[in-house]
Amino acid sequence: MSTVIVGLFDGVETAARAAQALRGLSLPAGSVTTISAVPLPDGAVVTDPAPVRFPQIVIAGWFVGAAAGLGLTLATYLLYPLVTGGKTIVSVPPTLIITYEVAMLGALLGTLFAGGREMGLLRFPPKAIHDPRIHDGKIALCARVEGDEQAGRAMDAMKAAGGTDVRAEEGEL
Amino acid sequence: MNPEAPRAGVDLLAQTDEAAMFERLSRSNLVTTWRWYLGVAAAGAVLLWGLIVFLYMAMVGMGVTGYNKPVFWGLYEASLVFWIGLSHSGTLISAILRLTHATWRAPVLRGAEAMTAFTLMVGGLIPILHLGRNWRVYYALPYPSSRELWPNMRSPLMWDAMAITTYLIGSLTFLYVGMIPDLALLRDKSAGWRRKFYSALSLGFRGTHAQWRRYHVASTLFAILIIPIAVSVHSIVSWDFAMAKVPGWHSTIFAPYFVVGAIFSGIAGVVIVMAILRKAFRLESVLTPLHFDNLGKLLCTMTLLWGYFYFTEFLTVWYNRNPEEWEVFSSYAGPYLPLFLTMIVCNFVIPFPMLCLKRVRRSVSLILVPACSIVIGMYAERLLIVIPSLARRNDPFIWANYFPTWVEFSVMAGAAAMFVLLYMLFAKFFPIMAISDIKEHLFHTTDRTIGGSTVGSIAQVEGEEEARA
Amino acid sequence: MKHTWAMAIDLDRCTGCGACVVACNAENNIPTVGEAEAGKRRLMHWIRVNRYWEGEFPEAQAIYLPIPCMQCERAPCELVCPVYATYHNEDGLNAMVYNRCIGTRYCANNCPYSVRVFNWYDYKWEKPLDEQLSPDLTVRSRGVMEKCTFCIQRIRRAKEAAAEEGREIRDGEVVPACVQTCPPGALLFGDLADPHSEITRKLKDPRRFRLMEHLGTEPRVVYLKRQKGAGR
Repeated sequence: MSTVIVGLFDGVETAARAAQALRGLSLPAGSVTTISAVPLPDGAVVTDPAPVRFPQIVIAGWFVGAAAGLGLTLATYLLYPLVTGGKTIVSVPPTLIITYEVAMLGALLGTLFAGGREMGLLRFPPKAIHDPRIHDGKIALCARVEGDEQAGRAMDAMKAAGGTDVRAEEGEL
Repeated sequence: MNPEAPRAGVDLLAQTDEAAMFERLSRSNLVTTWRWYLGVAAAGAVLLWGLIVFLYMAMVGMGVTGYNKPVFWGLYEASLVFWIGLSHSGTLISAILRLTHATWRAPVLRGAEAMTAFTLMVGGLIPILHLGRNWRVYYALPYPSSRELWPNMRSPLMWDAMAITTYLIGSLTFLYVGMIPDLALLRDKSAGWRRKFYSALSLGFRGTHAQWRRYHVASTLFAILIIPIAVSVHSIVSWDFAMAKVPGWHSTIFAPYFVVGAIFSGIAGVVIVMAILRKAFRLESVLTPLHFDNLGKLLCTMTLLWGYFYFTEFLTVWYNRNPEEWEVFSSYAGPYLPLFLTMIVCNFVIPFPMLCLKRVRRSVSLILVPACSIVIGMYAERLLIVIPSLARRNDPFIWANYFPTWVEFSVMAGAAAMFVLLYMLFAKFFPIMAISDIKEHLFHTTDRTIGGSTVGSIAQVEGEEEARA
Repeated sequence: MKHTWAMAIDLDRCTGCGACVVACNAENNIPTVGEAEAGKRRLMHWIRVNRYWEGEFPEAQAIYLPIPCMQCERAPCELVCPVYATYHNEDGLNAMVYNRCIGTRYCANNCPYSVRVFNWYDYKWEKPLDEQLSPDLTVRSRGVMEKCTFCIQRIRRAKEAAAEEGREIRDGEVVPACVQTCPPGALLFGDLADPHSEITRKLKDPRRFRLMEHLGTEPRVVYLKRQKGAGR
């Protein structure tokens, strides 16, 4: 729970000017972010310092799924060995098919869960900063500050750039 | 979208009254007319009838259908292929258009993805409907049971089970994750039980920069993953037939042929659904003739592709005159002539010339003619694949014709009603237009003056490095 | 001892009388479907007698071909059952497990000989016809596939009797219902693994052929070609 200065801006240009001014305050990386109804290009207003990590989990999920599919098929063949159609007990082409399908399922579920986790979904923090007016074309610029002095300077910077309803809120960024 | 003349150099989103746009795009959620209630009641009634008839069939036996020896598969299995084929709509439209950054994709994304999810639900139900002992379907699950037996993974039906499950989970996830920003929008704009409903579903999405970046990666990954899944699903469904020792089925062309046919019927389905949505929810300004023009061009390409695959198959059989296969194909000139003609006329003769004309593609009412024709033609094609090959198979002594009974028609009508009902409920409670995608498109679009003309210019963010100039 | 059950059908002797069909129906609790269902091509005969016509009237000739289950070594039906309701047992027979079948009917589609039949309804045996049911095997419910089993209940009986007496099964001890009944003696059943059995000797006949051999199913039912001559 920290102090966040929130300001509403009419468009990308004004928000970018405010963000530029905030950069002068030397806030730690990741303290300033936008909340918007459309995704803004990285660097247009703020940049995202943290790399996107979950694609590696997706690839791992693919392999986990492949192992699961392979295991399922082999277990089915070997635990219940029945001759069908003169084929070998461990039949390779069906194994490949099932392995592929479960691998894709693993990748899908990996994207869903790892992506969701990295997006911060399903956490429902009690005081997440949000402003529903972003759906009317506004962009909310949020800066997490320490202490009253930083808060005051951030508020001034936002107001000078043309922000409306600049306020301090207690919450999570 | 904007009543005044657009100002060059300023992005179109900044010039849009977003509140009014929300009202327009969410009409399906905000306004409920008697027509919706009537539609839901009608679809519900047909679904109930189909369910009752299905229970009758399950309790009395499959004998109430038209199945016989040797035609052990008929309307149900052909419908299975048909519905799974229709599910390739969302995959092509949504996934491929997303990945290729097609500029016109935004208004069709949600409707197409929803169509995929619900046609797949119907298609996934049919393998349970067509069983002789439906109540024992769980035998096909691998779980430690007192019977001490797991399923046979060599069977194409088990591949079907795995593939359809994966595709169903994938398409539902694709649909849902794609909806999260719009659900957040609906949450912020609603009150009461709706607000609670959308709050739960939007999972706390707010629209921070970090969230959008990761959301974009996740949607791209889903789009990348769903395409090979879709291709594999219909290939596997085709292998239900291609793996069999049935003349006319045992053909290596079946996998790509079925995938092409699926995409073909899927796009036609999307055209029909989009036309209905446009009329029902007055989305004329969003689903413009441009969209139908582009869908029509895709449909024209698929008509040619389908024709090419069918001709290839026909050519091989005709040239070789392999006796077993030739008997099957000869029946197309005999008892199956109406079905064959329906297929050729509805899949190629009517659509192809029509779709070549810009006038047809740009008119929503005119493009519905080839689209509906294709849906009918593809259904006939599925029937033509399943039935004659069994009716004229290896041993001439047991040849028999097949015609479905009222039981099969009722159950399949119930399945279709299930799709309509699901779709109508979805359009009522969920955003049927990808509002965030449309806004994003407007945000990237500015009007650029080149010489004496003004053209719409769309900014594409190619990669992270370029944007961070 | 490992058995290799096989059947030899001598087409020179088959008169097309259909007694094998009746015997099989009686032995294996096969329902009589009635005229209406027969018209809908839903006969449930496990062995059928195909009739083909050769030539035109008045020289037309009928060719009869009894077709039981071929018990293929590479049975296409076994491969496609998703629940292992049909598989290859140790005797080399294509076994059918009725209570495992969920009725996908894929096996029937994959049988090129079309020997598999499906229970379209729950058939009833009104009293006193229920007294003709054989206690050695079940009555199948609706939704279940069935087919000729080479009278596996008789094979089991013979195995039990032989095991009790501590000996091997003698040649001619196992006789399926169709083989037992055939009046001209066109059907012969036996163990090919036994080098001295009658069927091993009979199948040295150069008239031998198998049905649809090009499909690679390796059937265990071997036909002996009909020889054409005066008066045949």
